[in-house]
This record gives sequence, structure tokens and C-alpha cells, in this order.
Amino acid sequence: TTSVAAAAVSSIPRQNLENRCINLERNELSDWVEQVTKKLIDDLPAQNTDTDDHHSRTLQAPADIPMLCEDSFPPSLLGDFRPRKTVTSSDFDELQWSNVNGGNDRGLSRLDEQGLSLITLLLECAVAISIDNLGEAHRMLLELTQMASPYALSCAERVVAYFAKAMSSRVINSWLGICSPLINYKTVHCAFQAFNNVSPFIKFAHFTSNQAILEAFHRRDRVHIIDLDIMQGLQWPALFHILATRMEGPPHVTMTGMGSSMELLTETGKQLSNFAKRLGMSFEFHPIAKKFGEIDITMVRLRRGETLAIHWLQHSLYDATGPDWKTMRLMEQLGPRILTLVEQDLSHGGSFLDRFVGSLHYYSTMFDSLGAYLAADDPNRHHIEHCLLYREINNILAIGGPARSGEDKMKQWRSELAARNSFVQVPMSSNSMAQAQLILNMFPPAHGYRLVQGDGTLRLGWKDTSLFTASAWTSHISR
Amino acid sequence: MDEEDFSASSSKQYYPYYPHPQPHPSATGTTTTTPTSIHHAFETSEFSTFSPARDLTFDFSGKWATDILLETATAIADRNSGRFQQLMWMLNELSSPYGDTDQKLGSYFLQALFNRMTDSGERCYRTLASVSEKTCSFETTRKMVLKFQEVSPWTTFGHVACNGAIMEAFEGESKLHIIDISSTYCTQWPTLLESLATRTDETPHLKLTTIVATKNGGAPGSITSGTAASVQDIMKEIGNRMEKFARLMGVPFKFNVIHHGGDLCELDLSKLDIKEDEALAINCVGTLHSIRAVDNRRDMMISNFKKLQPRIITVVEEEADLDVGVDGMEFVKGFQECLRWFRVYFEALDESFARTSNERLMLERAAGRA
Repeated sequence: TTSVAAAAVSSIPRQNLENRCINLERNELSDWVEQVTKKLIDDLPAQNTDTDDHHSRTLQAPADIPMLCEDSFPPSLLGDFRPRKTVTSSDFDELQWSNVNGGNDRGLSRLDEQGLSLITLLLECAVAISIDNLGEAHRMLLELTQMASPYALSCAERVVAYFAKAMSSRVINSWLGICSPLINYKTVHCAFQAFNNVSPFIKFAHFTSNQAILEAFHRRDRVHIIDLDIMQGLQWPALFHILATRMEGPPHVTMTGMGSSMELLTETGKQLSNFAKRLGMSFEFHPIAKKFGEIDITMVRLRRGETLAIHWLQHSLYDATGPDWKTMRLMEQLGPRILTLVEQDLSHGGSFLDRFVGSLHYYSTMFDSLGAYLAADDPNRHHIEHCLLYREINNILAIGGPARSGEDKMKQWRSELAARNSFVQVPMSSNSMAQAQLILNMFPPAHGYRLVQGDGTLRLGWKDTSLFTASAWTSHISR
Repeated sequence: MDEEDFSASSSKQYYPYYPHPQPHPSATGTTTTTPTSIHHAFETSEFSTFSPARDLTFDFSGKWATDILLETATAIADRNSGRFQQLMWMLNELSSPYGDTDQKLGSYFLQALFNRMTDSGERCYRTLASVSEKTCSFETTRKMVLKFQEVSPWTTFGHVACNGAIMEAFEGESKLHIIDISSTYCTQWPTLLESLATRTDETPHLKLTTIVATKNGGAPGSITSGTAASVQDIMKEIGNRMEKFARLMGVPFKFNVIHHGGDLCELDLSKLDIKEDEALAINCVGTLHSIRAVDNRRDMMISNFKKLQPRIITVVEEEADLDVGVDGMEFVKGFQECLRWFRVYFEALDESFARTSNERLMLERAAGRA
């Protein structure tokens, strides 16, 4: 019977395999990544001779990544994906220099074997890091950083290049023993703006939140908005415009903008004030150059009779709010009428390997979405990938994590909020949905983006992977 | 840059940064471990609660990489491990091989310094070289070199000057022999062949003997950083193409390749097959600097050249002395020179190539290895 089983196993499809690989033509490497990572993690305890209990604790496949395929790969197939030590020159040429018509960059017309073998090596490297085998990781990273280019036609290769770089960064800061970030906020904001121009996610976040806030401000004359990380305040002009032109006349608006540098906050404040003035709307701006989770309630100039909205567009560029439990506590104390939350569908908690696998899936999808819209040699795309997406990847892998910052991050805010008695969910209205739909229509490969309404939330993703979820909440003690 | 109080971080164990493990006077209450193997160098340090970012106002404009790198070199020379740590941390955060020139410089130099401090330089170099070799084929190398020549006069400048001088020296001769010791994959010669073909008198016979030294430490974008096997393949292909081209030009042509392992000054002259009636030129582009200026080696090379009695010797070299001393101030000076040189190189590349050029990336990586 064993020989029959063996025969059955080996007869599985090279075919099956290729079917899956062909999906990659359409840049759905994220699906493949998911399957391989699960397999690789499952394989591990057998391979490693080191402390097994340590492994069993850390090597649980993340439960929240939906498995799209029921079949599991037999180990022999996975063996085929071990990085081939010699990449033949003809393969490489084909992949590297294949002709793709400019404009609609659909990736390669043949199997992206190079990309796959790179990802496999990347995963092995991540495992090495997770068990603190930095020497081995470093060696693999040397290879990866020489082989993967961020300018490649293949999204897989780009993702590998940036992930490898982030891990190199981690190896070095592990060795140094310092893991604080040093950030050039101007560059980040600039890249954020560029991203906003080519991709619908940010506008989705802005417009759906604005709608929820607008509804909460219905018939209120004095309103106060706290933006937990205002950056350049791109979101607010649109809301101001609607508030200024509403039936019952404009309210008096106070805005508390939080961020990292007073200089940048002041600049943002000035822009918003000018805009409000042109609209004839009464406006006050209070900048706070601190993290929300590090201030106390007295710092917020909330006046009696003001209707409060708290807005939080979560990102992974840097830690914008400080300790989660303090953030939650302050929100409860403030008791806003509306709390608009836009979360990345990505967990910041958990072990290195968990975060690694989750973010690989997430960012592969992101890169895919950009690649469907922008050409491979588009400098704008490079700017976004390098200054924004890479920043996030680096922050997640090289900086973040409980072992380093010493604090535990909440896995998912909406679950936390739902579990507490202090907040009640406000379902996103059909108007919000309509807003979201309008935005999607502005972006060409609309067929790639998927908008889903459910559980009172709105989710926007690419193909089958949800990337951002917008939700709204109201406090029990709100006015 | 602010002077920070490092006492918070000095309570953790230091790793063997230096070959001589002496407790640094400013690090109070630490224990330094004796370096035993490279393995130890890769252990994770315990994370300090030290958070340098908080009070640091950093000026991102201007050539920050040069400033930070020079300070790092000085910190190494002074054995100031606290300062070294802080600077390396900054470099690690700020640099990227995919960003602007300062970010690139930061990235490659950071790697190099890291390797130096963990004593893993040799090993890393070998890994990098072997990987790059696997990923490079004749086609990709050719594309890189040609694109570089297309967008920048960096190499062609030297070629044109040398060819001009050689043509002059060979005036009226009918049997020519060029000994070529270069790093530019014979891209210099097609133009020369053309000139020979269009000379007003009878087309002379040209013998080209290319010497390829397979030794570590090649200049940016050069042959000499590969291993014997790959270089042989490349040269074979190049030879074929040269011969074809010469036939097309109608120039009687003979092509020889000599692969020489080891130092150039030990070259066996008899191998060169130089005939009595040949007019000889020796052409050296970007290779002589690999002969170290010790033990009279360079003198030997020159006297070798003299023995051959050439009509002309043409030399193209980089305006840089990249010999980094072992320790102290010599190291800093050498480091500074390296920095200056590579900055110039990277800036030139940045100017000439498109933002997202893979060819440029290849060249940068080769430089990174160097």
C-alpha cells in the first residue's frame, strides 16, 4: 500500500503545480505565497534539530489567512521549489529581459521560476531569523540582495528585494542592540501623497470616514475632530467643503491634529485654516506633537457642548499612537460621538514569523495592485514602493514586535472595541458605500479592486485579499 | 549632532568589535568578551531601552552620508564603541541600496563596515561574487557594459584617448601586436579595428593578446572579480565576436586570451608570443592598480614592460588610491578616499542612467563588492 501511495503522490501533478504557477502570470503570487508558507512552516519541526518546544510555540500558521485551496502539497513538490543553486543563464535572460509591452504590465509570459525560488529562499531566511540564527540568515541575505532587484518586471522579485533589505536591516540592528526608527517624515508624507494619487485605498479611507463623521455631526453646531495622525491633512478639505455647504449652515470646527513634528503640524494647520477661511467656516486648529497614547485628557482642549469625532487611519509606517491600552483608555475617557477607524488587514502582534508571513501576503498583494496599474520603470511607482511600502515592511520586520518594543500590540482594533462595553458599532451607511463606489470608479483597473460590505464595515482589497477595513463606533457616554 | 549620554546602553554586553578586546574607558561596568569565532559576532544583543531618536534632530538635506561615514571611521579608529553604535544605527535606518546617492553610499559602506567589524569580509566577498556570477551571463554583462558606455563617457573616454595614441605609434607599421590588460571586456577594440581598416595605406595585420587576471579586488564593473570558469566563457564568446568583426572589417586578425591567476607582476612574458617583426603596444585600462605598491612589485612590472620594448604603453587609471590602512588615522584617511571615490562614481551613475535601471544596479553592486 505504501508503494501505491508513493506512486499516487509522485504522479500528482507537475500539472497541478503548473496550473498554480500559471496564476502567477496574472501576478497572483500572493495566493501562492500563502500556500507555500503554510507548507514550509508545517515542514519545519521535522527539519530542525534545535529546541523543539520553541518551534511549536511560534510555528502556528496564522489562522486568519483564508485558505483558498483545499489541497495540500505533498512534501516532494515543495522540494522542487528549493532554490536551485545554479540559475541557468538562459532562464535568467528570459525572465530579466523578456519583452513586455509597455502600458499594461502583466508580468511575464512564462513561469516565474526565478521569483518563486527567491521567495522560497526568503522564507527560509525568515525562519533562520525567527530562531535567532543570524549568521545563517546573513549569508542567505547576501544572496538574496544580489539576486533580487526592486526594478524587476516581476512583482515577486520586487517584494523579495524589499523584504530582504528589511531583514538585513534587522540583522544589523539586532547586532547593534538598538531598534528605534529614524524617520524622514517629509519623504514619507510625500510618498503617501503619491500613493494617494495612484491607488484608491487612501481616498477610500478618507471618504468613507468623512461620511460617517458627517452623519454624526448632523444638526450639531460645535464640532471637534481629533485626527490621531494628521500628516498633511489630505482628508479634511473634502469634509470641510460639505460641512460649509450643508443645509443648516456650517458648524464651528475645532481640529486637534496629532503628529510627529510640530513644524509639520503647524504647516498643516495653516493650510487647513486657509481653506476653511475661504469657505467661510469658523475654524480652530490645535497641534499636538505627541502620540495619542502618551498624552492625558487635559491636553485635549475639548469644550462643553462640542460634538467629538475621533479619526484614526492606521498605517505601519511608524508607531503613531504609542501603547495600545493607553490609546484605548483615552478614547474611552473622551467618549466621542463617533470614532472612525480604518485598519490595515494586517496584524502587528505575534511572533516574528507570524508577522513575516502576514506581511508577505499583504504586501505582495499591494505590489500586485500597483503593478497592474503602473509600468515597471515608472519612477513614481518606484518612489511609492521604496519610500512608503518599504518603510512599512521595514517597520514591521525590523523595528516592531513585542520582543523589541516590549509591548503587546492589539491584533485587531475592531475586535477589541466590539468586546468592550464602552463602544457600540455604528454600521457604515449606504451613503458611505456609495462614496466608496464612486472612488473605485476613478481608478482604472477597477476590476481588480474589490469592495465588500459586511458586519457593518466596508472593506477594500485587491482581488481576493482585503487590505483595508473601515468601521465606525460610538461611545456609550457620548454627547 | 547632539552628544548623547550612552550610560543606558553601556549596561549591556558588548560584542567583539575589535581584534583587541580592551574595555573602553567610557563604558562603565561592562564586560567585553574575547572574540573566538565569527559565530559569536552574529548573536543578538539584548535590546536596550535607549532610544536615540527622541532628541535627535536630523538634517536630511545635503550629503549626510559622507558626514556620518567619516565620523564612523573616526569612531572606529578611536575605538569609541558607543559612538560607533549610534552612528551605525543611524546608517542602518537611513540607508538603502535603492534610494538616492547618499542612501546608496550609506548602504554599501554600512555592509562593508559591518563585515569588517564582524571579521566576515572575506567570506562575504566570496558569497557575493559567486552569487553575482551565477546571476550574470554573457548577455547581461554585455548589456550592462554597453549601456554604461552608451550613457556615460566614463570608460569610453579612456578608450578613445588610448586608441588615438596607439594609432599614432603604429603609423606605417604592417604587423601590429597589442598586449591588452584591461577590465572593459575588449569594448575598446572595435573602434580601433575600424580605424585600421580605413587607414589610407595597406591594412596591417593585428594580433591582440588579452590578459585576464583572475584575482579578487577588481575595479567597478571589471572582469577581475569573477572566477576562472565564468570569465573563460565570457572571453571565449568575446573572442568569437571580435574575430567575426575583424573579418567584416577586412582586417587580418588574431586573438589570444591568457588567463593569469595571481599577481600581474608575475606574468610569464614568454607566453605572450611576441615576434621580432611586430610593432608592440601595451594597453592597460583599470588593471594596474591591482598590483600592490609593496615589495617592488610595481617596479617589476615596469621592468617587464621595458624588456618587451614596446612602441607605446597606454595606461588608464582611476584618480584614487583605495588602499585602506590597517588601523588608526591611516584607516580614516584611506576610508575618506574610498568614500570620495565611490561617491563620485555613484553620482555619475545616477546622472547617466534612468531612475529604475537594472544595469545601473548591477554596476552599483559590483562597486559594493569592491
